[in-house]
Amino acid sequence: MKIFPVLLTAVLLTGCSGLPAAREMGDMALLRTLGVDRGAAGVEVTGSTGPQAKGLQAEGESSLVLSADDDTLSAACLAMQGQSDSFVFFGYVDQLLLGETLAEQGVTPVLDYAARNTELGLGARLWLIRDGSARDAIQAGGQEGIEKRLETLRADGKMGITSLTRTAGEVYTDLLERGCAFVPALSPAGDGTAQLTQRGYGVLKGDTLAGFLEGDEARGLELLAGGPTGHILTVGSTSVKTTSAHTKSRLEFQGEMPSLLRLTCRIEARLTEYDRRPQGEELRALMTAAEEQERACIQRALTRLQELEADCAGLGAQAAMYCPAQWQRGQGDWPRGFSQIPIEIEVQVAIQT
Amino acid sequence: MSKRSRANAPHPRQEPRIPGPLSLARLEEVFTDCVDFTKREVYLHGDNQRKAVVCYIDGQARSERLNDYVLRPLAQDPMLATAPEGQLFDLMERGALYAHGAKRETELDSVVLALIDGSCALFLEDRDDALVFPVATEEKRSVGEPENEPALKGARDSFVESLRTNTSLVRRRLRAPELKIREHIVGRQSLTPVDVLWLDGIADPDTVALLEGRLDEIDIDGVEAAGNLEEYLVDTAKTPFPLMPYTQRPDRFCQGLLEGRVGLFADGIPLGWLVPGTIDQFFKTGQDRAYHWMTACALSLIRWLCALITLLTPGLYIALVTFHPEAIPSKLALSIVAAKQEVPFSTIFEVLIMLLAFEVIQEAGLRLPGPIGATVSILGGLVVGNAAVEAHIVSPAVLIAVAIAGVAGYTMPSQDLGNALRLWRFLLAILASLGGLTWLALGCAGLIYHLAGLESFGVAYLAPFTTGTRVPRGHPSLFRLPLPMMKWRDGAVKTRNRRNQR
Repeated sequence: MKIFPVLLTAVLLTGCSGLPAAREMGDMALLRTLGVDRGAAGVEVTGSTGPQAKGLQAEGESSLVLSADDDTLSAACLAMQGQSDSFVFFGYVDQLLLGETLAEQGVTPVLDYAARNTELGLGARLWLIRDGSARDAIQAGGQEGIEKRLETLRADGKMGITSLTRTAGEVYTDLLERGCAFVPALSPAGDGTAQLTQRGYGVLKGDTLAGFLEGDEARGLELLAGGPTGHILTVGSTSVKTTSAHTKSRLEFQGEMPSLLRLTCRIEARLTEYDRRPQGEELRALMTAAEEQERACIQRALTRLQELEADCAGLGAQAAMYCPAQWQRGQGDWPRGFSQIPIEIEVQVAIQT
Repeated sequence: MSKRSRANAPHPRQEPRIPGPLSLARLEEVFTDCVDFTKREVYLHGDNQRKAVVCYIDGQARSERLNDYVLRPLAQDPMLATAPEGQLFDLMERGALYAHGAKRETELDSVVLALIDGSCALFLEDRDDALVFPVATEEKRSVGEPENEPALKGARDSFVESLRTNTSLVRRRLRAPELKIREHIVGRQSLTPVDVLWLDGIADPDTVALLEGRLDEIDIDGVEAAGNLEEYLVDTAKTPFPLMPYTQRPDRFCQGLLEGRVGLFADGIPLGWLVPGTIDQFFKTGQDRAYHWMTACALSLIRWLCALITLLTPGLYIALVTFHPEAIPSKLALSIVAAKQEVPFSTIFEVLIMLLAFEVIQEAGLRLPGPIGATVSILGGLVVGNAAVEAHIVSPAVLIAVAIAGVAGYTMPSQDLGNALRLWRFLLAILASLGGLTWLALGCAGLIYHLAGLESFGVAYLAPFTTGTRVPRGHPSLFRLPLPMMKWRDGAVKTRNRRNQR
């Protein structure tokens, strides 16, 4: 009977005051996408299950979309429970959409709620909806839902084909550590082929939306963040595709103050289209032209980020690893310092022939 | 003490079993109402003044031997008619009769037991002793292939019901005179010979003494099944886990003796036990040493993995689907939800019922003759299972989980271990249905606690995984190293000679 003290000790060591409640999965509505907007009452929450498979033949059932507006996020989520005939389960939310108006107001309450919620967590991909609300974006999916589109964007981003994707946890960490972060932006307008289109990146400063980077600026930010690589550079009749990019930053100090931010961006690329395989001087000229194009992108991105006083690519923090003592002394003034510091950019493009 | 209490009290064993002096009349009295008891009067070389009486049990004694070795010399040897009567017994004992053994007995008990063993007893008039000649029949099943432990690459003989055949199979493989065999008689009514085998100088003498002591303590009616010995010899019967590994294969049995274990045979049971039994023994097969060591390693790992799968799959399924759905990958969760939507039963009920159905189908298959059993298994497994899924009585995911657990259980080389895992599988599934992963983890902790408390002949059941006991380990239990590297016998079996090769 010595087993009973052991069992009792084991139960106490679990730290659980109560056991989890049993629920049948067949009676659950598994939310895959959650959108949060600024609502009339306070916060508007929209959830989507995506196309639900029903029965053994997995006949598609249309996406279930639930929406609730209340004064707090938790109250809105609770209100959604009452709208469904199934138990609404947030444990499978892997896409979190934030409306532009909510982002202008502040995203910390949403991220904080996700961090504290045992079902939700911070593992979901975070997207900023530009020129629209998260509810519009979710409803743009219609019966098919937008889950498949978002999942494709996530997978493509991982392979470097589309924009960088970020989890709620990464964004929340950046906000807490650097005071700023970037979030990929989508627009529900659609371009006829997809329900959601990429619209660059939104920059969060503090916890509010400071602005957007689009086009070359977005490309520059991606290079600074060491992100996507699938970009085509065209020089004359020759095209090269970038395959990887890596940026290093170093700070130079004058006294205690940082006086220069030196960036070195190494890009690897390979030839994709050409009339005649470039060699020798021709190849060197091609590399120089590519370097110029990429340097211009980085310069535009840095100019915009300096305007916003948001080092969301973490250039200062990266440079700080080479001079931790000096960085510690001037860390507090870095956002302002970043906006004024001269930046020297060196881009090296290596083309595989 | 009341009459009823007296009747229910243990009966002391009577020694000797049939007390009193030996005589032909008393022998006949003992075998009254025994139709197979036979008595034959013989004139020595036709001299009607000299009579001998030969007694034997028909069916136990072999007719040809009795005729050729005993009756023919009695009837035809002229020396027996002319020799002084006082010397007749000496002449017969020392070679006048051709049997390979002869023993003079004066106790009725000894003669009765010898007749039952197949000997014949020879009485002369006016003498109070008898000569016993072994003429036992050797009718037995021939040595065949081990059906439960088939060999693809190795010896194909297996133990049979005859004890002496089994010891000879071992002796032919281990020709060293250090192989010792000692016999004990177990069972009041069956008087079953049980042999203890060990290699002197390698096996632990204390284990031999402990085994023999426990054998002598057994006071039962008969040894008709393996359990008649196992349940009396093991340290505790309060566990479903087997504590005495057994084998049908002489090569595996000999390997056990070489590892320093003590062997045990019982007449009438075509198995050999090896003690002490540690958990790793039940995961080993006779082929482990025959295959390439890398293959043997991989197969050994698969068997251990399958033990975990068969034990935990139903419990994990219940815990994850019912209590912790967030731990299931999204796409799998969607599939489970889709399959579960039209099933009216709860997941817990589904899994427990399917586990029970699996056992029922298995039991039905075992009890029927081979071809019909296979049909029942196929019919039950495929047709009924498929129909149940199509009728939305069970979800396909449950069927798959239970089937995986069941099939993984069949990889266990020891059926006894597989049965123990089946019982614990039910228990863990029930615990998981009560409290999810928390209770499942507690159940696993309880299982480890239970296993850690088991001992087999003074050796910890989990000895291969224990450390800090100051007992030198042998070789890893999960892997099979190349044989030239396996230089050590496992210290846990308390062998007296640890090194097994140069």
